Amino acid sequence: MTSGGLEVVCERVSFAYEEGRQPVPALADVDFRVGAGERVALLGPTGSGKSTLLQVVRGLLRPDGGSVRLGDLAPDDTGYGELQRQIGLVFQQPELQLFAATARDDVAYGPRQLGWSEEDVETATAEALATVGLDPAEHGPRHPYSLSGGEQRRLALAGVLAMRPRVLLLDEPFVSLDPPARRDLSQVLHSLMARGMGLVLATHDVDRAWALCDRRVVLAAGRVVAAGTWDLGSGGERVLGEYGLEVPFLVDLWSRLGRPLATTPRSAREAAEMLA
Amino acid sequence: MRATVAQYYPGISLVHRFDPRCKVVAVAVLVVALFVRDGFAALAVFAAVGVAGLALSRVPLAWVWRALRPVLWLMALTFVLQALFGPGDEFWSVGPLHVSRRGLEQAAFLSVRLIVIVVIGSLLTFTTSPIALTDALAWLGRPLRRLRVPTEELALMATIALRFIPTLFEETDTIMRAQRARGADFSRGGPVRRARALLPVLVPLFVMSFRRADDLALAMEARCYTPGVARTRLHPMQARPRDALLLLLVAATIVAAMLV
Repeated sequence: MTSGGLEVVCERVSFAYEEGRQPVPALADVDFRVGAGERVALLGPTGSGKSTLLQVVRGLLRPDGGSVRLGDLAPDDTGYGELQRQIGLVFQQPELQLFAATARDDVAYGPRQLGWSEEDVETATAEALATVGLDPAEHGPRHPYSLSGGEQRRLALAGVLAMRPRVLLLDEPFVSLDPPARRDLSQVLHSLMARGMGLVLATHDVDRAWALCDRRVVLAAGRVVAAGTWDLGSGGERVLGEYGLEVPFLVDLWSRLGRPLATTPRSAREAAEMLA
Repeated sequence: MRATVAQYYPGISLVHRFDPRCKVVAVAVLVVALFVRDGFAALAVFAAVGVAGLALSRVPLAWVWRALRPVLWLMALTFVLQALFGPGDEFWSVGPLHVSRRGLEQAAFLSVRLIVIVVIGSLLTFTTSPIALTDALAWLGRPLRRLRVPTEELALMATIALRFIPTLFEETDTIMRAQRARGADFSRGGPVRRARALLPVLVPLFVMSFRRADDLALAMEARCYTPGVARTRLHPMQARPRDALLLLLVAATIVAAMLV
């Protein structure tokens, strides 16, 4: 259901919120790049600018300085707005934004806004519901609030997936979910990953970021303090500790076992196979 | 979109530190006196008090201007109507429109009086936080409790409402951005279409507000809130010598205005 990835390049992006008498800076000279189909974890403490950066990338907030290039297009090029619409942004606690009378109608909202034919809307809606593990026939006609918390979260994700994004930005997708709901959502994200969906995962949860993402960018106080692949060689992930984040469990385990860090497994199953 | 409820300008000036109850009384008395006493001389006394108060409050002029701006067109309207339809012999006329000297004088008087009233009234809202204002009104309304008016509860409701207005603004902002990410467009089409476009914002906003109200009610009960029981305050209002001074100054102003 993806139509090829989309490269996103932020160059020296700055942003400040107008609040009261003085602007409150949220991003300062942020360089941030996601290759087409790449999966990047956006890590950082609360208030470091993760959500702001995602909203700037999606074009909901206009940067005060710098620019966001999408594919080959700069902000002033024709067709840029069209590319912005192909970025799927799932807000923090997106279930709070459900509003339609049925789960199906809520998912169909985005595609209808895009002006698709009712037939296409139908197909996209059913597909998106199935992708997030909801049954279009069983869950589709139900009222969103009659679903469980985890199902509501996945329903909101379906609402964004139905618009067939080429890259998905997720803002703290696991926050305030119970363990089974986290596991279900995790499975959905892994299945999207297997299909080559580009992903930006803003989170505190370094273990899930490690399992899902090739690279990680660490934000602190609106600045990029570390970017690139997970720095396993020289104990570079200690940078996470400095910003109140943890080192991923498997990375920590592998380093304590004295194993070559380049071979660190991405999941418990992989680890078990390697240790057996 | 940021909420600037009322016009409170936080500060620590003398005017800020007066007891809010005394400020409410002082302003109410001054405004009544302004209406009762005619004449430019008396008006000058009140204007001087207003300007002195503003200077003491250290509220920047830009802030004052923001509060005055919406009143200006009302002032202009008052002026024109009074000038055209006021009594007296005409001394200037164009077609069916006549302007008299007395009408012009009256127009000027009423316009200036309107500004002075707004300045004195704004002094209260500039220097008193909405919460303090609510507490003051609740205290002053205490005699009404004998008539079974639930003043404490009304004050609490007002306080809670004031507390949540900025939260609601922020939430509206977030929801609108989230729905825009899903293709919502709030600026396209006629009024009906625009109103319909707000549905995806209003439904979540109401649901959240009701949930929050429920939670707040439970949390208040868990902390032993009981309606109708007298509550004590974290910051009890306390009249100090300077508040007596304020009331004396107000009395002096009124006497001066009566004598000039």
